[in-house]
Amino acid sequence: MLTKFIKIILISFTIFNFTISAKSSDTIKIALIEPMSGPLAAIGLDLIEGMEFFAERINKSGGVLGGRHIEIIPFDNQMVAEKTIQQLRKVIDQDIRYVSQGVGSNHALNIIKTLKKHNKRNPGKEVMFLNHSAVTTAFTNELCDFYHFRFDANVDMKVAGLITKMASDPDVKKVYLINQNYAYGQSFQAAAQRLLPERAPHIEIVGDELIVPFGKILDFTPYIAKFTASGADTILTGNWGPDAARMITAGANAQLKVKYYSIYAGIPNAMNAMGSKISTFTPILQITESNENDPNHPEWLQEIEAEYTAFSNKSPYADRQRWMLDMFAAALEIAGTDDPTAVGFALEGMKSRGANGEVYMRAKDHQMHFDMVISHISENVEKTFVYNGENYGMGYKTDGWVNKEEITLPSTCEMKRPKNS
Amino acid sequence: MDAILFNIFNGILYGMLLFMLSSGLTLIFGMMGVLNFAHASFFMLGAYFAYQISEFVGFYPALIIAPLLIAVIGAYVEKYGLRRVHKFGHVAELLFTFGLFYIIEEIVQMIWGKVPVGYHIPLSMDFSLFKIMGMSYPAYQMFTLAVSIGIFVGLFFVLAKTRAGLIIKAALTHPEIVSSLGHNVPRVFMVVFGLGCGLAGLAGVLAGNTLGTDPSMALFLGPIVFVVIVVGGLGSLKGALVASLLIGLMQTFAISLDYSLNNILEFLGFSVDLESLWRILIDITISQIAPILPYLLLVVMLIARPRGLFGTRDV
Repeated sequence: MLTKFIKIILISFTIFNFTISAKSSDTIKIALIEPMSGPLAAIGLDLIEGMEFFAERINKSGGVLGGRHIEIIPFDNQMVAEKTIQQLRKVIDQDIRYVSQGVGSNHALNIIKTLKKHNKRNPGKEVMFLNHSAVTTAFTNELCDFYHFRFDANVDMKVAGLITKMASDPDVKKVYLINQNYAYGQSFQAAAQRLLPERAPHIEIVGDELIVPFGKILDFTPYIAKFTASGADTILTGNWGPDAARMITAGANAQLKVKYYSIYAGIPNAMNAMGSKISTFTPILQITESNENDPNHPEWLQEIEAEYTAFSNKSPYADRQRWMLDMFAAALEIAGTDDPTAVGFALEGMKSRGANGEVYMRAKDHQMHFDMVISHISENVEKTFVYNGENYGMGYKTDGWVNKEEITLPSTCEMKRPKNS
Repeated sequence: MDAILFNIFNGILYGMLLFMLSSGLTLIFGMMGVLNFAHASFFMLGAYFAYQISEFVGFYPALIIAPLLIAVIGAYVEKYGLRRVHKFGHVAELLFTFGLFYIIEEIVQMIWGKVPVGYHIPLSMDFSLFKIMGMSYPAYQMFTLAVSIGIFVGLFFVLAKTRAGLIIKAALTHPEIVSSLGHNVPRVFMVVFGLGCGLAGLAGVLAGNTLGTDPSMALFLGPIVFVVIVVGGLGSLKGALVASLLIGLMQTFAISLDYSLNNILEFLGFSVDLESLWRILIDITISQIAPILPYLLLVVMLIARPRGLFGTRDV
């Protein structure tokens, strides 16, 4: 009797699930594949929340294509590469034509490769990849694809931006490179090795290290010893997560007086983990697309950011999500259809507004170009960072801007374009 | 010479941190034969409790209260959980602690969120005690070193010299006889498990602020602890100390060795002109693989001498 009862429940559950996943073709769906569980869950969930916020803004102001809403559908990849491919197949099976991702370039690579094959074999059913944060330079060079658009600056561009600032920084004379030994870190290292002699020939590279990534190193003291022995006054690093936080903590404990030039060492999570004493002991600089404490931060952006903070109880951080969705919506309107091929042609060369002027999507390689701001963590800021109601007591203080022209780099992309119908 | 002494000092500091992490685990395994997968989870709980308590009353009360709380929780886990599972054998106990690992991780995420918390070194110890080769050593690090030495001395004393230690050791190998002599053997086990967890908690309190306190710390710190106790010998406190120091020194020295196989070959006069995969292999420097060396040591130890350096039982 009981087993029969259980069987009935299980069967009705299954049927129920099937009916739930029946497609509602009213909305324009973007599948968002990010880690929703595991060590990077916080980053993934924050990005999903950001996407949902910016999509909601567009929906509230009338939607696209005659009132249709943009719907963000999150998928958990648990930071496992195979899971990303599995979820992508689900996305394709569910007839969703747009997929977005950004946490982890190896996942982005899987998506690009899988979609290349899928799009080739399924003309008329193409899926577009809206890449919001996967920064491996190759994605808009050797691996470029018509159905891939990158809305963040790539590693080479960010390193170029950092080095351009370093070149005019009188404190920087001897730099030590340290990076994580995987695709992203090696890419950072290669870009730094190439661009330092090009853009800052007076700066001497006194060290160049690759470390085992993702928190395997508990004790950074030997590295601090190496930094001290080399006489470096600046550390140029792509490290993120515990690899950055522990390194900077060890440096501060050892009273090492160096400037950190980084991309992700100062992200809000790290800032909180390190605490204000360590975060402000020596300047920790980072390069981003926007800084809410910038003296020239535009009014219209401040309003949007205030809405975002009211919605999410967090300070704004990834402004690129805003222009990604705005441009997507605009492209839909120009194309007049939700077909990815038409939307793709509309996105090429499209402009939008950024925190420091116009931003645009380069048609040649589908790489976004925008001015970038170099800032350091400081307690003397007007708007300190707030996360889930907790005030970190620190924020970012602008050191300078790098124009998009200064970080416009050549591309080896040779894209095969579909016919523009 | 200076550099070598410096590396030895750093290696010992790091090694004592590892010892602090693993002392509790080897105690539990040595005394009870239970491999506690959730050991790193108690470490994590110790760090979080210390963070929360120090938010209210400061670091020093947290230093005392947090490990005691963890010890009590550990004792209850043993009494109401592990003890019931014990009769089903070692695998069941292992699975139980494995499940406990996940449960604790989820509870931590539910209470404190998924992002790292701001658990920092107490300001009263956040000053430089002395300098070696241009690098400062914060007083807090010396305090941690002192506590970990104290842990070893204390444990050794209790186990080898006191009556209680004698009862504990006897209860492991001859529980029936000890029980028939009138001692409460289940209570002994509960105390030992609690003590082991309390040690993990204490390690969490001391190391959470320098290593970072977030929900994934148990996952990341778990493996190295297992390496230490396997290399040292399951159940041997002395072994855990020696293995921790060995691994600490090995890793610290390795990081300062920027030599690869390629360098050695060049030194010997061969200039190798290989492409792709082989090139990568011979270009890897020792410093790049430093964190992997303990695991290599683990493999070598398991092949050559499975019971570890001072172990009394096979893995």
